[in-house]
Amino acid sequence: MTPLMEVRNLCVETTQPPIHTLLHPVSFTLHAGRPLTLLGETGSGKSLLAQAVMGTLPPGLRARGDVMVEGRNFLALPARARAKWWGRHFALLPQEPWHALDPTMRIGAQIEEGHRLVAGRSRSAAQHATDQSLMRLGLADCRRHLPQALSGGMAQRAAFAAARTTEAPIVIADEPTKGLDSTRRDEVVTLLREALNERSSLLAITHDIDVARQLGGDIMVVRDGICLEQGEARTVLDAPRSEYAKRLIAADPRHWPAPASPAPASAQPVIEGRTLRMKRGNRVLFSNLSLTLSPGEIVGLTGPSGCGKSTLGDILLGIITPDEGHVHRARGHAPLRFQKLYQDPPAAFAPHWTLHTLLEDLCARHRLDRGRIPLLMTRLGLHARLLQRQPGQLSGGELQRFSILRALLLEPVFLFADEPTSRLDPITQQDTLALLTDVAREHDCAVLLVSHDPALITASCDRQVVLSG
Amino acid sequence: MPPLAMSLLQRVCQAGLVAWVVGTLTFVLTRTLPGDMAYRIAAGRYGHEQVTAAAAEAVRAELALEGSAVQAYLQWFGDLARGDLGRSLVSGQPVAGELQHLLGHSAQLAGVAIVMALLIGVPFGLASGLSRHRLLDRLGLALAVAMRSLPPFVIGLGLIMLFSITLGWLPAAGSGHLTHLWLPAMALALGLAAVSSRVTHHAMARVAASPFYAFARQKGLSARQALYRHGLRNVSVPVVAYLGVQLIYLMEGVVVIESLFAWPGIGHALVHAVVARDVPMIQGTALVLGLGFVLLNALVDLACRGLDPLRQTS
Repeated sequence: MTPLMEVRNLCVETTQPPIHTLLHPVSFTLHAGRPLTLLGETGSGKSLLAQAVMGTLPPGLRARGDVMVEGRNFLALPARARAKWWGRHFALLPQEPWHALDPTMRIGAQIEEGHRLVAGRSRSAAQHATDQSLMRLGLADCRRHLPQALSGGMAQRAAFAAARTTEAPIVIADEPTKGLDSTRRDEVVTLLREALNERSSLLAITHDIDVARQLGGDIMVVRDGICLEQGEARTVLDAPRSEYAKRLIAADPRHWPAPASPAPASAQPVIEGRTLRMKRGNRVLFSNLSLTLSPGEIVGLTGPSGCGKSTLGDILLGIITPDEGHVHRARGHAPLRFQKLYQDPPAAFAPHWTLHTLLEDLCARHRLDRGRIPLLMTRLGLHARLLQRQPGQLSGGELQRFSILRALLLEPVFLFADEPTSRLDPITQQDTLALLTDVAREHDCAVLLVSHDPALITASCDRQVVLSG
Repeated sequence: MPPLAMSLLQRVCQAGLVAWVVGTLTFVLTRTLPGDMAYRIAAGRYGHEQVTAAAAEAVRAELALEGSAVQAYLQWFGDLARGDLGRSLVSGQPVAGELQHLLGHSAQLAGVAIVMALLIGVPFGLASGLSRHRLLDRLGLALAVAMRSLPPFVIGLGLIMLFSITLGWLPAAGSGHLTHLWLPAMALALGLAAVSSRVTHHAMARVAASPFYAFARQKGLSARQALYRHGLRNVSVPVVAYLGVQLIYLMEGVVVIESLFAWPGIGHALVHAVVARDVPMIQGTALVLGLGFVLLNALVDLACRGLDPLRQTS
């Protein structure tokens, strides 16, 4: 095997004193045909490593160490020269492919420009190469589409085609499966494996153990900027040595402990949907669907993307009216007590105010008891100093716990939790979900929990509803 | 109905509404102005020194100014519906003919001002939006605030003092030669450029920080290729859209600047018509300004639609 890239003692630190080391020195070798996966939580320095290798660190940070590619130390090159290697030696598969495509340019043009301007092909050769790659990736019909018309998976493939017009030997994929359901995730892994051949290889960065397992090759487990263990994928995943790797693997929903015995269904359901039917465009999402939730009951809702999971929840909450059927809510509860938890915590908070202000406003608006905030914060494991921060300064897990707190302040009897942990790391996900279900049971609040991960639903819910789509 | 036709139809309805509102307002306003109308019109015709009570009476009788206001109002609309804007009370010439001549001058001035504003504001905004140096941003902001805070006539006077009086490069006022156009166009352009440069700056900074711009670089495009292929189109949409908002400033500026530089356009004629109480002329010029505003807005709409494919599909 030929080493494509040798990374020696690569570390990332701040440029201004006091100098902090954000990524402690790591060394590894990337071989042709053999992928390397960096596994760890968000904020553990994985993405910094990718940026350091590419030379795209944000201002204020610098990388030290060697990144040897084709006998030259890439890191020692001036910034301008490094940029010339992008797309030619390195292909970066972006984290959020949707946002990485120019919203105003057609897909075909975004791929073709790479063939023409980066790979230096003639106009007709570039057109031909674009058609070929679109065909191979199943995007033949999308040549004239704008990115907004593509699904997440299609955008991922289009970005892949755009990034690899020169067949760059080193492919770097930063969290390529973030927020995708398991079917789409497998598609992306298949796509990434396409980059593996005798001349090229893949450096993947992920928190998803399944992705690491499917990619195979080698694994490095990274936490807080420190490499905890590295070795062959199978060895590391089946017999982890470091404590953290063990926890990370145990946090896979398939390894979660079995749920507590289900709460006895009380006679009086808190919310009930009867013979619901909903269409989107010409497609019937569901029909003749009935479900009831009792106080303190945790019900799972699964199904493929776009099957109407969120729509069903919004119907129960009364945000959307169903085409047929109706929703019956138990008498004597204010509408405010039917609440929703959102998928993306940062998007569910006003960004420029401190959490203290946000909670204060909520209490003032609904005349709530402020005395409950410290108690709930303790229960949810939130430190009081976090109140002085703005939502963007909190981790995803902390922020999602704040949204649980915010919902609990309203004394909910029903919570619709729409993929509340899909953007969180495995360990944080496990902790957050356990808290959510425990607290909901304590408060006799019914929860409808949506997830695309059947193992997660099985492990955390009393029973489940499956939408087939 | 396709969205394009829909938006054009909307604009046509708007134009009708503008015609009615402008016609009515100018009529009411001119009727309620203080002073003897006949006397003012006579002054407009013969000059202030030559006006006598007899001349004013002659005008009054000739134009039937004592007649019913409502009748005159309805008369004007009836004529407008037939495409007749009436005759100037001062010159006796058809208003439509005069407007045609004036409009050419104003369009020339406004057009050159917009082009100049874009040539000054956009490159400056792009440079400061792309630059990491805060200094350029601060400098741009300070200049823009200064330029936009000064009323156009102050900028105009400043330009006259600098280029005509001190340097003697350009004529201070008048028309007929290309050199007469530069100063008034520049006086209008600076205020427009001030805002355009800031809109461009923010749009460019936003695009440059966007993931798709980073991806364009990382897939191998050079800085210049990324700017041309992924920067400019995305920046141009808000810049052009904001030009629509600035049209008010342009219209206002045209009236003031034309008077200041004695540029024989619509705005200049409007001011003269108001002084001379030349009601059909006031109505005609105000109508042209109002309709021009609607037309330019429609053009801005079309330009945005052409630049932004997202608007074509949605």
